[in-house]
Amino acid sequence: MIRLYGKVEQSVMDEKILQEAVEEQGPKEEAGQISKEEGISFNAVLQLRLEYKNILKIEHLWEFTSLTKLQLNNNLIQKIEGLANLTNIKWLDLSFNNIEKIEGLETLTKLEDLTFYNNKISCIENMDTLNNLTFFAIGNNCLGQLDNVIYLRRFKNLHTLNLAGNPVAQEANYKLFIAAYLSDLAYLDYRLLNGETKKQAFAKYQYAIEEIRHNELQTLKATEAEQKRQEELQQHQEAFVENLNGSELFDSMFAQDPEAQKLNQLPGVADLPQLVGLCIQMFQSGFAEQKLREAEVKAFLEVLQEAVREKQQRSAQLVSDFEKHRKKRILDLKQVEDAAKEEAQVNQYMTEIKTLCDSCLLLELQLVDQLEEIIKDFERNITDMVGSFIETVQGIYPFHTIVHSNPHYAPAPLCRDLENHLHEEIKDIAMATLEKVAKNEVEDDLPDDVRALFVDKETVMNAVGASHDSHMLRIDNREDKLVTRINAWMMNLIKKIQDEEVWRNRKCISEIQYFIQHLRNQLEEVLHQE
Amino acid sequence: MFCGEVERDGGGGGGDKSEHRSSTAGMETLLELEEKEHEGGGIEQKELSPQELLDGEKTVNINITSPGDTPFGQTKPVNLSECPSSYQHNSPQEKQLLVIADNFSSQYSHIFPNRKPLFLCPLNECGVKKFVSTTLRSTMLPYSGLYDWDNCASFVADHLVLQALDPPIEPPRRLISPTLLLETQTGTCFDISTLLCSLLLGAGYDAYCVTGYAVREMCLLDQSRQECPLLVGEVEVKVEGTSAEDERQVRKYAVKPPRELRSNFERAQQERKEQEARAEVLRSQQEAQRLQEELERPPPDPLQGQMLHCWVLVLAGKREIRDHFFIDPLTGKGYALGDESFLGVEALWNQHNYWVNMQDCGRGCSDMEYNLGDTTMWESVLFRITEKEEEEELEEEEEWSEEPKPFEMPRSWVDTIALSKQDLERRWPGGSRCTQYRKAKLEQFTPYLLPDGLVTRLTTYTDLECEEVDVVREWFQNRLDHLEERELQRATNVTIERFSPGCKLKLKTHSYVSLAPGTERRMDFHSRACPDGLLRRVESPGQMEETFDHRDDLLYSRHVFYARSPEGGSEEPGGRPLERVVERFHRDAAKAAREDVAERVFLFAEGSIEVTFHLEDDRIIPVRRSFVKPRVLPDGQRAESWRPGMVTGYQGDPHEDPPKNVYLYEMLTALMDEEEKVALQIKHSETEVREILATREREERNPELRISIYDTARNEKVQRYREDMIRAQEESQKQVKKEIDLLAPFLARLGDPEVLSSQQAQKVLEDCLANQRMRMIEQDKILQARYDKETQALQHEQQRYQINQLNMSKEEEERYHAYCSETVFKIGVIKQRQSRHKEITPQKHLALKEKLIRDPRLAPHL
Repeated sequence: MIRLYGKVEQSVMDEKILQEAVEEQGPKEEAGQISKEEGISFNAVLQLRLEYKNILKIEHLWEFTSLTKLQLNNNLIQKIEGLANLTNIKWLDLSFNNIEKIEGLETLTKLEDLTFYNNKISCIENMDTLNNLTFFAIGNNCLGQLDNVIYLRRFKNLHTLNLAGNPVAQEANYKLFIAAYLSDLAYLDYRLLNGETKKQAFAKYQYAIEEIRHNELQTLKATEAEQKRQEELQQHQEAFVENLNGSELFDSMFAQDPEAQKLNQLPGVADLPQLVGLCIQMFQSGFAEQKLREAEVKAFLEVLQEAVREKQQRSAQLVSDFEKHRKKRILDLKQVEDAAKEEAQVNQYMTEIKTLCDSCLLLELQLVDQLEEIIKDFERNITDMVGSFIETVQGIYPFHTIVHSNPHYAPAPLCRDLENHLHEEIKDIAMATLEKVAKNEVEDDLPDDVRALFVDKETVMNAVGASHDSHMLRIDNREDKLVTRINAWMMNLIKKIQDEEVWRNRKCISEIQYFIQHLRNQLEEVLHQE
Repeated sequence: MFCGEVERDGGGGGGDKSEHRSSTAGMETLLELEEKEHEGGGIEQKELSPQELLDGEKTVNINITSPGDTPFGQTKPVNLSECPSSYQHNSPQEKQLLVIADNFSSQYSHIFPNRKPLFLCPLNECGVKKFVSTTLRSTMLPYSGLYDWDNCASFVADHLVLQALDPPIEPPRRLISPTLLLETQTGTCFDISTLLCSLLLGAGYDAYCVTGYAVREMCLLDQSRQECPLLVGEVEVKVEGTSAEDERQVRKYAVKPPRELRSNFERAQQERKEQEARAEVLRSQQEAQRLQEELERPPPDPLQGQMLHCWVLVLAGKREIRDHFFIDPLTGKGYALGDESFLGVEALWNQHNYWVNMQDCGRGCSDMEYNLGDTTMWESVLFRITEKEEEEELEEEEEWSEEPKPFEMPRSWVDTIALSKQDLERRWPGGSRCTQYRKAKLEQFTPYLLPDGLVTRLTTYTDLECEEVDVVREWFQNRLDHLEERELQRATNVTIERFSPGCKLKLKTHSYVSLAPGTERRMDFHSRACPDGLLRRVESPGQMEETFDHRDDLLYSRHVFYARSPEGGSEEPGGRPLERVVERFHRDAAKAAREDVAERVFLFAEGSIEVTFHLEDDRIIPVRRSFVKPRVLPDGQRAESWRPGMVTGYQGDPHEDPPKNVYLYEMLTALMDEEEKVALQIKHSETEVREILATREREERNPELRISIYDTARNEKVQRYREDMIRAQEESQKQVKKEIDLLAPFLARLGDPEVLSSQQAQKVLEDCLANQRMRMIEQDKILQARYDKETQALQHEQQRYQINQLNMSKEEEERYHAYCSETVFKIGVIKQRQSRHKEITPQKHLALKEKLIRDPRLAPHL
């Protein structure tokens, strides 16, 4: 109304306006009286109504963090801002304002009910994060593109939509288009979308809809597959054997080694298929070990939790037994008049409190002892397990390279052995090729850059040696990575368990102290009153 | 080796009758017999001359003709003259069989003078000698409930009353037919075994009747030393329940128990003392048990091992039976072959043959073999090849067809065994039976027999003489109030009633001392059926505890303590004043523990409310708040306003800010509202209890039974409906049949006079005839009209055709031709009908006239 007459008296959202609104809309009657005396903190307010206030700019709302319903309708707001902190909001009303663009709503993920009625918005956008949206009103705006409505398809829970009064609503196929593209919608412009309409709409836009659906399904599948892959990798990483269940190590050995690629083109240079086999062996043993470790941790935690729970129950029993008598004691104390008797009773009560405190602390102390012991046990066990796993892994990567005269007699083909063996073979082949090159007997199909290697012995040997060194480095790196990570994991685990235990102990003792203090205070109060 | 010869001898001896056996054959077998006797050794045998055999037959004949005892009629007079002829006479085959049997029996008694005479050919109810195998009548009754041996045997045991043998060491003189047995429902163990064996054979079991010796309790159906089977089952269930709990996991880690600071010596001393005490207790227990056993031991039996009994043997092989076993027909229970109750086997038979036991039964029946083909163990009366060989023989039958076939057991003389559905349902003779067990008495009734639906009553006693009643348990069926079981414990006088699901009061069990309201009781409910999720309500003096299940507000218990009323128990309609109410809640995972109420206590008397919240993880002391309610004036106005001192309590976390006053105030108001609701709910519970008790009392006073709508025999409504339906059907048929009274309309015109005067009769006759004539003329007219119409139409069409013939299309022309041929055909048909009508009219007229003249109403006047 004010706007119609052009006499706009703008106001600013300052503390006074907010305070007034909160008090006005807060508790009533006696509760209101009490809350007024006490003061209302903004962060406890659940609903706020700020309508017809001629507000131009949204400000100072950051303190209302528990707000679930906010009404800012019938103001002069031009830009959506300052709402980022209201993450619990479910209902937001911004109708009858001068907003031109949807923005600043990214953090309000709990939003269910959103109203932009009678604004100047021309495009539905920037709402990707509002997954819980069920009600959306954007009537009397400037939406001109029917295709823009397809944007709303992403809101799976949306059942009510209001678009009336937009330019799009004038289009002939408006209703059918929306019914077709938003097939889960129940109400459009205050009317029920019945089955008949939906059927017609579907018949009309069948191909387009199916295409969209198909695309959506594809994306969904792709994301799921990606997720699954990530999960798998995560799992492998937990077992510290990621990327070992295939030829990845082998591939990476050769990927960054130009010399090897050249050498590989020599006739007679074979692959290292056994290396892949070894990787897979390592991978499997890594998984088995991880299962064992998990079982170990689980068994340990079960016992730990059980012990804690048992102690907790016993202490709670002690406390509740004490509580049963406490009330009677206090009543007795109040009634006693004889000073001597009173003192005796007070003393008795004090002793009881002390006994309770002592027995609780004793229980806690016992528990600490018990836990310390099993934590030590666990530490030892898990260290052993990790150690044996590392040994297994290092067995597959032996430190001492043994060059076997005959590779067929190797007891177990291990990574470094294999690499050494390969190195020897390549060296032999290279020498042979060198001789051939010298004698000009070599085949013509050898590429030029490879041929360039075979100018003299030194160059060839350097190339072969460099390739070997780089391979060895890769293998060493992978081993180092595994060992470091598993050790880090172990340290972390043990530290976490110890820290938690210390924290639990502290908390428990402080609780007992606090309770005892509380009891003593109470007693003093009673005595003081008398 | 013994049977074959005997059988052939018998045949040879009675050579006059048997056509296919020569005396030479008899001689040969005699020789064989001599040889075999030497081979087998041990069995003494005397040569039998044909003359002796003939003598035997004579005595048989004498026996048959001699007038027997008075016909079987101790229980119920049965008209024996109505029996089929096979009951009263023997067929030639049967006579021959009797001769064979007699021969066998005399040889047997000769060889084994010490053994009891065989039970081979007792008299039947008509006083005719019948071989026992022919009394077996393999029958399958058309009730699926009798298909398995256990059900069948227990039905037979339940349905019949035992008539003990007299004297108990002699076989009975008579073996009545199973048909008569079913009629009289009374018989000896032999009669009952025969019936059971017949039914089992019919159901496909390999069953045999066995005669032998058993312990006295079994022969006399004395179960007073056995545990009641209903009680035995319960004990077993309990044992299973405890054994399942023993499983425990072995764990890798375990916390060490805290060190106990006690003297080892003291502990050892203590343990020794305890051990001694335990040993003492054990000794005294054993002593008591021994005494008890001595007390219970039955008195010595002078006839031990001589009491004759007859039971049923089922051999493995058929109906997926794995092991041989015995069935005692009197109890219907199955026993292993080695059971101590069976002391010896004399002989056994089925519908094909009779075998005599040749094994030693000195040590009971446990070592006996049941390979009936082995003649060193079993001697059969008829030569008979085992079934396996029989099958082989069937294949080679053509080759062997010339060979004379051995004598076959004649078919049974007994009529088909029939059992009515009522008898099957009634089960016990007269619909009830009472059995005495050890420290227990079991009474069983047919459903619907008793007006309160009682089917079983088990009374257990604390002493052996059955004088001190311990527990009375009653089972009901088809009760409209769904009562299933009632248990009365005499010691405490507590009655426990159990209901089946579907009970209108939603009760599951109800235990009480008296049905009067305000007394101690415990009710269990079907919590899913109750809208408030009530599971149990226990009332004790001054208290009431309700337990709930599956409630949305997670309340699981409400304990009400009533204030002691100063007047001393006078029950006022407003209900007893409340002292305090304790409500407990489960943890609601959606709320934080410190805000989730675990227990609230409404102290009505003190005017305060105490709330305890759930424990947070890792904490031992719950958050607690106690509110003092503001005083309320009599007109409902609050006399006090809020002040912070109204709330006290322990807050838990020292680092957290104390709650706001508004929060506490709102909590207090909410709690006060809740308090009112709780008080209302308690009132509601009290009225509910009163209502339930009133209903129960009413139901108990007039117990009603539920009758299925498919039960046409009992459901009166259904019966009436069926009868109505049948009647309606009959009536409709009757009406169709009933002829139309031709004179009715004309008589009605005269006002339906009782008796017609002759003028009236004349008039009626004329009217009737005239009426018929008119109808005939009218029919003729209709036909003529149709004829005219068709011809006219045809002419019209023809004219049109002639005019338009030249400018007509081919189609139209075709249509015209088709029309013409059709119309001509129609006209032909009409003409035919007209001519027939003319022919028939005078005939019909005459027929009617004759009929009317013969009409009983008109005849006297014409």
